[in-house]
Amino acid sequence: MELSVVAFWILSTIAVVSAIGVVFFKNIVYSVLSLISALIAISGLFFNLGAELVGALQILIYAVAIVVFYVLVISTVPQYKGEAVDPKYALLSAPFGFILFLELAYVSVYGLWASNTGIFSPDIFQQISNAKAVATLLFTKYLFPFEVASLILLVAMIGAILLGKKDIVEDEEGGA
Amino acid sequence: MVPYEYYVALSGLLMVLGLIGVIVRKNVIAMLISTELMLNAVNIAFVAFDVKLHDVVGQVFVFFILTIAAAEAAVGLGLIMAIYRMKKDVDVEKLTELKG
Repeated sequence: MELSVVAFWILSTIAVVSAIGVVFFKNIVYSVLSLISALIAISGLFFNLGAELVGALQILIYAVAIVVFYVLVISTVPQYKGEAVDPKYALLSAPFGFILFLELAYVSVYGLWASNTGIFSPDIFQQISNAKAVATLLFTKYLFPFEVASLILLVAMIGAILLGKKDIVEDEEGGA
Repeated sequence: MVPYEYYVALSGLLMVLGLIGVIVRKNVIAMLISTELMLNAVNIAFVAFDVKLHDVVGQVFVFFILTIAAAEAAVGLGLIMAIYRMKKDVDVEKLTELKG
């Protein structure tokens, strides 16, 4: 068997098992650890597909930065005492999940796909690297969305600071 | 090479698991984590279609999704901190101010 096929099955098994762990672990810390495992497996799948830049960004941004946010908040909020899964919604979620999976499978199998119209065939990738191809498109055709993304990050940072800070405004009418 | 349909099927499976997580969990933080799982499922589908269509536009959009996911995590967790400070709880059954 080819090596990429073996890698696909191992990594996808890890990703699916970790995702089940994310959904069903009672302790939220175990959920976050399962999320890290799933994110690293998905990053390996990106490398397996030949998308090195996205795989590296996945590890750097998701598995490090975003997960650290979650760990910080979990360390602040005391441990959640109630049950993890609501039984009445668990019964409800099975048909909805099944219907969504059937729809996604139908679209994937019978969808009307466009043919190979792109210019980045595998022999092009032999000459220029994946990172160069993605970065060229990002800084020419998608330059304006790239700048807007930086603005969104700035707004999100200001919003997170404002939402997260303690309320230090004194009650001016109190005391009387 | 693995056919790209397998990657799309894996993406659908992760999407469904994330949706089930959003529906069944009672802890707000766990619901937000399940949302991250759904965003990752979309990323896998983008990269798989890139390989099929011999293009790199999907990977550019994966870059944007990573940016939005970071912003979403920052603002969402800031909201959860504010809610916790006000209500001393993260159980969705207890946060029912908007219920008619």
